[in-house]
Amino acid sequence: MSTDWPYLDVHQSRTHEPTPYEYQLASTLEEVFTKDGHELTDVVSGLNTRQVHAPDGSPWTEESFRAEIHRLGA
Amino acid sequence: MTTPAADHIYATGLRNQWHPVVPSHFVAPGAMRKVTVLGEQWLLFRRSDSTLSMLADRCPHRGAPLSLGKHLGDRVACWYHGVEVRTDGTVSSVPGLPGCNLEGKKLVRSLPVREVGGAVLAYFGDEQHPDPAPLTLPEPLTDPGTDAILCYAEWNGPWRYAVENLLDPMHGAFLHHESHTMYDGDTTAKFRIRETGRGYFFEKTDQRGVNFDWVELCRTGVDWVDLSIPYPPSAGPGGPFGIVGMVCPVDESRTGVFFWRYRNVQGWQRDSWRFLYRTLIEKRHWEVLEQDRVMLEAMPADADQHENLYQHDLGVVRLRRLYRTEAEAQAAALAQTR
Repeated sequence: MSTDWPYLDVHQSRTHEPTPYEYQLASTLEEVFTKDGHELTDVVSGLNTRQVHAPDGSPWTEESFRAEIHRLGA
Repeated sequence: MTTPAADHIYATGLRNQWHPVVPSHFVAPGAMRKVTVLGEQWLLFRRSDSTLSMLADRCPHRGAPLSLGKHLGDRVACWYHGVEVRTDGTVSSVPGLPGCNLEGKKLVRSLPVREVGGAVLAYFGDEQHPDPAPLTLPEPLTDPGTDAILCYAEWNGPWRYAVENLLDPMHGAFLHHESHTMYDGDTTAKFRIRETGRGYFFEKTDQRGVNFDWVELCRTGVDWVDLSIPYPPSAGPGGPFGIVGMVCPVDESRTGVFFWRYRNVQGWQRDSWRFLYRTLIEKRHWEVLEQDRVMLEAMPADADQHENLYQHDLGVVRLRRLYRTEAEAQAAALAQTR
């Protein structure tokens, strides 16, 4: 841990640089929230419509999205 | 009437209250760290079981900084002559002269510390007020339904300017006009002060929920502000985000700022916000904070001596009067006992 003044660190909440998958999921989520709505059903259908699928390639379900977003955001 | 002592307190931070120091993770288990707070040198010392202590960074023998010494688990050994000091400030050993009368004496000042929301808070009492003042923590940092993420930064400017910036909501519509959260709303407003039992609100009378439209100063043993800023729809469910802000007076010209961004979200909504925050939003928030830093660091040292204030500055004027009055009272009380 550096003790140099000043401490000016843009990213303080990350544990790692996001992967390309994480960046794509995040930007698509922002688009879905903006255009489709804020309900979980909007999110699942919005991601599937845009072909942004779970890491194993399968379409999202509410259960799989809850589990994955918990892994990414806990 | 002002005195040099009152000026010093005003410039370096009020005593007899709690202040934030640094983020908790700055001191790992088994590590120690030198910090400057209220213009004084301190040593944060964490045992391997994570217990944290804060000691004056000054060996009671010859005044050498303990922070240059060695972490011995439950005590620190000064590098200069090996004098060992326990985390409560007691000299446990003088290796060069066993049985020396320094041994067993509590000769190093230690401060009460608490860790809250990922930050170290410490109580800075003067000689008349060594016992810690009651501390009521900000609700957004203790409420289980609220999720808060800390952002810490160090700015080259007086601590008062950083607090004044927070008691000046109107700057949001101008300084932060080019930002992801504060681009909207009227650029004219009327403000009022509304008293609370713990401080006061400074708020617009004619707009709410559009920009940075209100702020509450809270004095609950530690000084903090609460405020709310709308998120665009892209941030997902949960509505606006709030900020709990605290300021560490490092010395007369340096400041540590603590901003907890909080949101009333749970379950998948919380997880979504945290994921978006880490991946995309934190950087945008940082850019807004940098606008504040650039402006405050560019302010001349005598900025608050040559002003022409208007109605929007009532919140700042009240803040200054409050701090100035308290600094003078603290200095006067100390002068009477000397």
